[in-house]
Amino acid sequence: MPSSDSEDFESADEGRISPNKRERKKRLSSSNYSDNLEDQDNKTTQEPVLHKVAASVKDNIPKDGWDDFDIEEESEPTDIPQKEEIKTAPTEKAQASIAQKIDSQKSGWDDFDDWGEEKDINTKDPQLIPKSQVQNVKEIPDPQEVTKSDGWGWGWGNSLLSTATAGISNLTTQVSQGISTVLETGIGAPDPEELARISAQNNAKENNADSERRNSTETKAEPNEANQSNANEGAFPFGSLLSGVTKFVETTGTKVLAGGLDTLETIGKKTMEVLQDGDPGLAKKRAMLGLDSGDKPVLSQVLREARAKADEEDQMKEAKREAKAVHYETLFDDFEGLVHLEALEMLSKQVSIRIEERLRSADPNKRQDIKETLQQVAELCEMPDEEDEEEDEISEGTSRPDALHERLQRATRDIGLKLQFQPLIKQFTETLAWLETSDVTITEKAVYKKAVSDLAQTTALSVELYHKTAEMLLVKNRRSTADEADALTQLTVVLTKHISDLATQFTEKLTNHASEDKEQINNYITNVFLEAGNSSKYIENAFHLALPIVQIGAV
Amino acid sequence: MVDPIFDYQFRLILIGDSTVGKSSLLKCFTEGKFAELSDPTVGVDFFARIIEVQDGTRIKLQLWDTAGQERFRSITKSYYRNSVGALLVYDVCNRSSFEHIPLWMMEAKRHIEPHRPVFALVGCKVDLVGSDNKNGAWREVSCEEARMFAEENGLHHVETSAKTGSNVEQAFILVAQEVYNRIQTGEYKVEDGWDGIKTGFNRPNGMDFNLLEAETVQSTCC
Repeated sequence: MPSSDSEDFESADEGRISPNKRERKKRLSSSNYSDNLEDQDNKTTQEPVLHKVAASVKDNIPKDGWDDFDIEEESEPTDIPQKEEIKTAPTEKAQASIAQKIDSQKSGWDDFDDWGEEKDINTKDPQLIPKSQVQNVKEIPDPQEVTKSDGWGWGWGNSLLSTATAGISNLTTQVSQGISTVLETGIGAPDPEELARISAQNNAKENNADSERRNSTETKAEPNEANQSNANEGAFPFGSLLSGVTKFVETTGTKVLAGGLDTLETIGKKTMEVLQDGDPGLAKKRAMLGLDSGDKPVLSQVLREARAKADEEDQMKEAKREAKAVHYETLFDDFEGLVHLEALEMLSKQVSIRIEERLRSADPNKRQDIKETLQQVAELCEMPDEEDEEEDEISEGTSRPDALHERLQRATRDIGLKLQFQPLIKQFTETLAWLETSDVTITEKAVYKKAVSDLAQTTALSVELYHKTAEMLLVKNRRSTADEADALTQLTVVLTKHISDLATQFTEKLTNHASEDKEQINNYITNVFLEAGNSSKYIENAFHLALPIVQIGAV
Repeated sequence: MVDPIFDYQFRLILIGDSTVGKSSLLKCFTEGKFAELSDPTVGVDFFARIIEVQDGTRIKLQLWDTAGQERFRSITKSYYRNSVGALLVYDVCNRSSFEHIPLWMMEAKRHIEPHRPVFALVGCKVDLVGSDNKNGAWREVSCEEARMFAEENGLHHVETSAKTGSNVEQAFILVAQEVYNRIQTGEYKVEDGWDGIKTGFNRPNGMDFNLLEAETVQSTCC
């Protein structure tokens, strides 16, 4: 049943009522109640007790417990609102429901011994009636909302309804009343009357449960009705008057709600009841203030959602902590890469502003020239499409860090600055040394961590290099834009290649790792390449940020 | 590497004439090291350290060590903007470095606007004072004079030595605590697009708020 929704529920009565509803309504509104009931009565002569039902229906009809149902079932809210309508509705509903009862409750009549008590209970709460009326009028504009979250109207409507529908609802009211009784005594105001009633109700419960069981077996042909009765049975024992039809149906069968939440809710309802005892008009006021409006979420629902959210957050935090150990961005930040990039960006922005100022203040004739120059510099700073595997005239004997150093120096030899490559070289040397230590006990995870960390550090050092270069270019006395542009482009090529070289080193180490978990290894390898891609992006980003600094030397 | 767990990050900038000892002060503070000789700073360098303020809140100080050399002046001024605190550094044995402090302060105020940073006046190299004067160093700025200037301008004042480590931590904690106090009073806020104050990785925005709310609910219940 958990999957069934309000639509299913609607159809429980709808199927029987909807045809020619309005016509029937007109007819019924002018007809004698007992006449109609008599009809039903005749059909079920084997149930003499039904007279009692008829009587109770008469007694209870003016209470209007029905109009809740009316709204939910009709799904044409615009028709309902006014008092006339509300009056007519119950008759027709009572009819329909009784017809239903007769079908489904053939053996439920022995419950009527408790009936007098039941009436008592319902007439005890007359102040509820205006409330449900007002609510209905309020809620009409949006039937969807009503279905979702109108726990109150639904619940009370139900308990009033029970007077009229006897069988099924008899049970539910008994039980819910029982719960509020328990609540009262629990709060510390034991009422002997109530206590006495509890024992009577316990008996009633047994009877009802019995009949209920039989009902559900007898009415298998009418699944929707069974739903309804089950819904009542399932929902009310927990005292929750529920957040709407959806919840109402969901709770049937297996789903058991968390007791604490529902107790809270019951307390809340009890409080409302007490408030209304003192001021029956409160219901109207509340409705006017919109406090009962359909879009207000039910407490239990909110709490449940909050709890789910908290659980999710906890899980996320845990995962985060775990992931942080190998979190590239965090490491990049720790190696001061981020702040160098940020500082470079500040410089870049400021220089761009200066370039624009120069453009604006320049002679209109010269402006085009300046633009062209800027464009030319930008073109010089375009990364070569294909890395033409050019002459690596580095002699065989040189160590790899030295080879890197040589490449870096060659790339930047015309820039006219003394750049510090030492940190990069040192870091590379250390990485190579680490990789060569053939420690068999090292886990694949450790290799992966080292890979991410080293990539982040190399990237941070590279970004720092661009930042320092940009600063030094800005204070350089004689600029040689073309050389600078070329040097920076070459530098970028060397650095991105260095990154992919590093990544390859680590993935080779991972591939050769004697691990069972090949899938994990593959995941790590993929991630190393991903982070290497990330690194290259940071480096290219830094290079682009340096462009205005090269450009301003030319204009 | 720095322990990544912190609640806030404050960005502080160190400014002052060249060779007054900004980088040495930072190296002492972040690495506990001191070198007699060091290269002049190019543009800006970065240091970081996590400290705790009085209530145990962990603060990551991101320290911007600017070049004091005149030729970098045009560059360094672009770095002021996102600072929540500024340490005005002078050499107690160098009169002119102290005399330039008002200029540094004005410059910082102008570039950090509209934000109002916490300033601290930090005298360096007190270890040279009273030594055998082999280096030819005499105190050229008296502590009283500096203190007076600080009081007039509403600055904290501290005299330090990166060599002995004397008062170095205090200089930074002073500023961090003041920034933190201003956060508590609501004067400073974490703002988008301003990096003077950031929340740490382990403190998602609004977590405190949620806790507070939960407590309120509880108390109304019972």
